[in-house]
Amino acid sequence: MDMLLQALATLLTFESLITVLLGVTAGLFIGALPGLTASMALAVLLPFTFSMEALQGLIALGAVYMGSIYGGAFTAILINTPGTPSSIATTFDGYPMARQGRAYEALAAATMASVVGGLVGVAFLLVLAPPLARWAVAFGPAEMFWVAMLGLTLVASLSSGSLLKGLLGGCIGMLLSTIGVSPVGGETRFTFGFPPLQGGIELVVALIGLFVIPELLNMAAEGRGALPGVGELRRRDTSIRQVARQVFGKPVNLIRSCLIGQIIAIIPGAGGNVTSLVAYNEARRFSKDPKSFGKGNVEGVVASESSNNVMVAGSMVPLLTLGIPGAPPDAIILGVLLLHGLRPGLDLFTQSGVLTNGFILSMGLAALMLLPVGLLGGRLIHRVVIRTPYYFLLPGIAMVTILGTFALRNSYLDVGIMLMLGTAGYFLRLIGIQAAPIVLGLILGGIAEQGYVQTLMAAVADPVPWLRLLNNTLSKVLALLVLVGAATALVPIWLERSGRLDKVSQEDTP
Amino acid sequence: MMVRLNTDIAAGLFGLAFAAVLWLPRGDMGRLTIMFPRAILVILALLSVALVVKGFVRPGERRVEIPGSPTRLLVVMIGFFAWWAAIAQLGFLVATLVAFYALTWYLARVDGPVEGTRLLKWTPSLLALVLVFYFTFKEVLNVRLPTGLLF
Repeated sequence: MDMLLQALATLLTFESLITVLLGVTAGLFIGALPGLTASMALAVLLPFTFSMEALQGLIALGAVYMGSIYGGAFTAILINTPGTPSSIATTFDGYPMARQGRAYEALAAATMASVVGGLVGVAFLLVLAPPLARWAVAFGPAEMFWVAMLGLTLVASLSSGSLLKGLLGGCIGMLLSTIGVSPVGGETRFTFGFPPLQGGIELVVALIGLFVIPELLNMAAEGRGALPGVGELRRRDTSIRQVARQVFGKPVNLIRSCLIGQIIAIIPGAGGNVTSLVAYNEARRFSKDPKSFGKGNVEGVVASESSNNVMVAGSMVPLLTLGIPGAPPDAIILGVLLLHGLRPGLDLFTQSGVLTNGFILSMGLAALMLLPVGLLGGRLIHRVVIRTPYYFLLPGIAMVTILGTFALRNSYLDVGIMLMLGTAGYFLRLIGIQAAPIVLGLILGGIAEQGYVQTLMAAVADPVPWLRLLNNTLSKVLALLVLVGAATALVPIWLERSGRLDKVSQEDTP
Repeated sequence: MMVRLNTDIAAGLFGLAFAAVLWLPRGDMGRLTIMFPRAILVILALLSVALVVKGFVRPGERRVEIPGSPTRLLVVMIGFFAWWAAIAQLGFLVATLVAFYALTWYLARVDGPVEGTRLLKWTPSLLALVLVFYFTFKEVLNVRLPTGLLF
């Protein structure tokens, strides 16, 4: 409790408040640009946090994350194009509302739902993370190996539409993580006689390359010009109070969507698009008037936006406790934690408790900040986003990307690695291997290797050493969960093939 | 542009090629160093073979869509690498100004021919954008950006 109060005190400074305000606004700008995901927003703005203190940097990125997920709702509602994949479900009812001249109502509802979702996610994170971190101490090398495998299986199954390709991506990521000096043997691996590779592939460099460059190449190829200016943001007859009554008048929808968001957020790798689609589907299923969904029902917007903003803080439960990102953008937060010498686990809630609690609380502040920024600055942000030509945007983002990658280690080679990984990522995406499993493999590779090698070293006298990986109940349960995770991915495909499901669509994670 | 390509076989072959590149130099590494990569390499090879087999037995996508113009894709891709190479020779500021200008001009041509007057009109915005970022990183964030012929 003392730590929480100390964290609150560090947060309520002019510097922190300005950081949150700027972070939310910047995130909102990038999130509102179609195709630019929350991961990309974090990757592009990451370099600006390098010179900041650890807490300020984390506050800034938390605010960018919150702002970018919310920002996706703007274009989803106004021009039927989700700014981020997390807002896919927002288009279903948001755009019909805009066409009916109810754009302001839809945006105000999305803002309120996002604020509630953001705050609920923070509350869950504050309640769930510390006990889970204490429990995580019981995880030995074998358990950590299975946790890494679980994260990989789940992201592979959820992100690409093909389990085999997802797992292949995960393996590629894991192998990329082994380049450089081995953490156990201490020898240099896979440098091909090129000494600069001894430092390995920096996580953030890979993240920037794999998330940003393919999208820039896509933008260039498509020649994405100015967005159609069909959506208008005019305040009609609806007042904020009326919208608030609509949103909070049906609390069951809001509560259900937040709970769905939190449950899915804890699953490693499941992104905001999964949470919003599931929450939307459940809102429709439980509605007294399901036929009105897709035709401008505000409940659909509330379900989608509340659940995807719960995910922002909610997905950090596995990140801060076990070091496993709950969603792809969390990988960048992990990169920042590691940059500042902070390792996920119990220490984050004891030795660095003030910093961690400050970061968590700052996301609550960022959620609250969505209200003034979204409602007052919404019109300006919309105008800027709609009118910025892509031929300025693309070189601008590329410049920040190059600057950011270079600034990380003052390394010219890192820029080249980032471009190579990004270019490879573009072509791999074409053949169905997504960036998310590769990135997760890169992150989990180190955890898995330490767990695997340490377990086998301890079992050197055993007749079958690898059986030590299944030595106790916890590791058996985790191994079973890995199998269940892999099987779960196959169920929708089996249902589709057996004709019990019309079409299974799986979208990219944000 | 649509390209006829069995994505399962393509992904499988890529996996096998990637595994082969890392399999060859493993010989001179110690047991502890190679233990984990070897396990992953075996899994990668098995997954790749499974994908190739699946590609023949029950293929997924048999064509790949490259959205938009492949020429523009290639030009921008090469442009990014040229930008990177130019940074070493010309320094960050000059290389970025040249690359930014060239990319903006090239991409703006999608909407029609770009006249000289239009380019001149953009100059203050482009200069301001590049200089703001350059000085922010150099002076505020204290990043030692690469220098070249002029800066």
